[in-house]
Amino acid sequence: MNGAPMKPGSHPSLQTLALYAGGDLPGFPAFRTRIHVRFCKPCQDEVTRFRLARAELKRATEQELLANCEPITDWKRLEREMTGNITVGLAAARCIERVGRKRMRLLRRAVAAVALIALFVAGWLTHIPAEQNRHLLASLEQIFSGKKRPGFAGTVLETTPDGIAVRTPSASLTILHPPSATISLAGDSSLAASYIDEQTGEVTITNVYAQ
Amino acid sequence: MRSSTRRTLVISLLGLASCFYLAAADGARWIDFEFPADSPVLVSSFSLGPTRAHVLGSSMALDLHALVVLRNTGTKPIAGLTLRVEAPGLSSAGKGSVTVPSLHAQPGDSFPVHIDMQLRRPFSTAVNSAVLKISLDCALFSDLTAYGPDTLGSHRALMVYELEARRDRQYVAYLLATGQLAELRRELNFGLQDFSPLQLGLALFQDANHRLSYEPAMQIGAFSFPDAPVQAVGGAARVEHNQVNISHIRLFNRSRKTVRSVDMGWIVRDEQGRIFVAGTLPATTQIGPVATATTSEPETMRFSRPGGEPMSIAGLVTFVNAVEFADGKLWIPTRADINAATADPILRRQLAASPEQQRLADIYRKKGLAGLERELYPNKQE
Repeated sequence: MNGAPMKPGSHPSLQTLALYAGGDLPGFPAFRTRIHVRFCKPCQDEVTRFRLARAELKRATEQELLANCEPITDWKRLEREMTGNITVGLAAARCIERVGRKRMRLLRRAVAAVALIALFVAGWLTHIPAEQNRHLLASLEQIFSGKKRPGFAGTVLETTPDGIAVRTPSASLTILHPPSATISLAGDSSLAASYIDEQTGEVTITNVYAQ
Repeated sequence: MRSSTRRTLVISLLGLASCFYLAAADGARWIDFEFPADSPVLVSSFSLGPTRAHVLGSSMALDLHALVVLRNTGTKPIAGLTLRVEAPGLSSAGKGSVTVPSLHAQPGDSFPVHIDMQLRRPFSTAVNSAVLKISLDCALFSDLTAYGPDTLGSHRALMVYELEARRDRQYVAYLLATGQLAELRRELNFGLQDFSPLQLGLALFQDANHRLSYEPAMQIGAFSFPDAPVQAVGGAARVEHNQVNISHIRLFNRSRKTVRSVDMGWIVRDEQGRIFVAGTLPATTQIGPVATATTSEPETMRFSRPGGEPMSIAGLVTFVNAVEFADGKLWIPTRADINAATADPILRRQLAASPEQQRLADIYRKKGLAGLERELYPNKQE
C-alpha cells in the first residue's frame, strides 16, 4: 500500500498517516509525509495515536499467542514436520487398506476353521463312546496340570484286556485269561486272575509276580 | 527305504525265522518241564495249541497255548497245586504261576492244566533253553501237608483256598440238606447282573519314585469280622486320583498267640460310590499276643476300569482276611463272620467269594441241583 498522493498545502489522508506510522510507506511518499508531519501538529498527533494503537494491538496479540501456543520461530522446521506428517499419514492409509483386506481373509479362514472344528467335535461326540471321552479328558487334565502318571522305569504288574502282565521296558510276560476272570491283588508284588476253565471245569488262578 | 533300515529289517526277519525254526524244529524247545523224580505229580503228556512267534516293533512276541496233562503219582489225594511258569530269557521281568485249587485228584488221577501266555522279548536276548520252563512250586494234599519248593508263597495261598473251599462246601451242603433252596440260589446265582463282581483294572508299581509322598493323606476305614484274631484299627494312604500308596495300617492282635503274617483285604470305593473288593495284600509283620503293630505297603497301586480309563478313588476300607499264626495255623472268616460283618448283600457276597464258590456256582449253572448234589455227595447212591 502506498497511500493516496498528497496535494500541496493539504494534509495526508488517514490511510497514508496510518501506513507512515507503521513504517509501511515506500521511499518518496514516506519522505514527503515525514516532512509534513514534522511541521504539522495535528498530523503529528494523528501519527502518534496510530503508533500507540499499533503498539497496544501488538502487545495484546503477543499476550494471546503466549497464552495459547508457543511462538513459531522456525518455519522451515514446521514445514518439514508437516511434510513428514502428511507422508506418514498417506503410508498409514495404504497400510490400513492392506490390513483390512488381510483381516477379511483371516476372518474367512477363521470362520472355516471354526466350522470344521465344530463338525469334528459333533462327529466326535456322536461317534466316540463317553467312557473314552472321559479317559481322554483325564489324560489331558493330567498333561496340563503337570502331574505325571507313574512311568515305566521299573517292573510293572498290570491288567491288560487279555490277561495279567509283568513287564519291564524291554520285555513282558502276560498270562492270558477269559474276559469273565476276576482280577485282584494277591500280594505286595503279585496280581491274580481267577476264572473257570471252560474246558476242564476247574477253577484256575493265574498270578504274575515282579522279580 | 534307507539301506540301514532295510538291513535292520532283513536281520530282524532272519532272527525271527531262526528263532521260529529252532522252536518249530523240536516241539520240546517251546517248553521244558522240571519236576523232581520224587514229585507227587508228573507230566503225563502235553500238546501245543496255536502257538506262534511274530515281530512286534523291535521285539519278538510269542503266543503260547499249551495243554499239560498231569498225573497224581503219589499216594495221597492232591487238594490243589501251583505250577511255576518262567521264561528264561525274561528273568529280569518276572514270572508267573498257574494254580488249580479244589482239585481233589486221587492217586493215579490225571488232570489237564491250560497255560496261555504271551511273551515279548528283545531280539538280542540269547536263550539256550526252551522258551518256557514249567515246574511244580507247591502241591497241597488233602491232609494239608505240602510238597514243593514254595518259592512263590503258594503253600499259604493253597491252604487259604482249601480252608475256604471246605467252608463253602459245608455251607452249600447245609443249605441243600436243609432245603433252603431260595438261599442256595441266591448264594450261587452269579448270572444276575447285580451280583456279578465288579471288574477293575489294576497296576502295581515297585519303583520307589512313584510314591505319592506329597499328596495329603486319606484316612483308611476299617472293619473287622467278629471272631477275627487280628483287627485293623485304621490307617492312612496317599491317594492321587486313581493311585494309592498305603502309608500305614495299624493292627491289633487280640489273640494270645503270636501272629506271623496277616492278609489285608482291600475294598475300594470310586467317586460314584460303587465298591470293589480289590484283593488282598499280605502284611508280613510279627505281632505278639495282645499287641499292636503298624505296617505299610511300599508299592503304588493304580486302579482303572476294565476299559483302561482311570478310576478315581473316593474311599479305602481294609479288613483282616486271613491270619497266619507262628505255629503255622491259619484263620479265615467263617460264614457267620461274613454275614455279621455287613448288611450290604452285594458286599457280603463279594467277601464270601472264593474259588470253590465260583466252581460250585458254575456246576449249579450248568448241571443244576442234581449236579451240585453229585459234586457235594459223590458217594451218595441215586
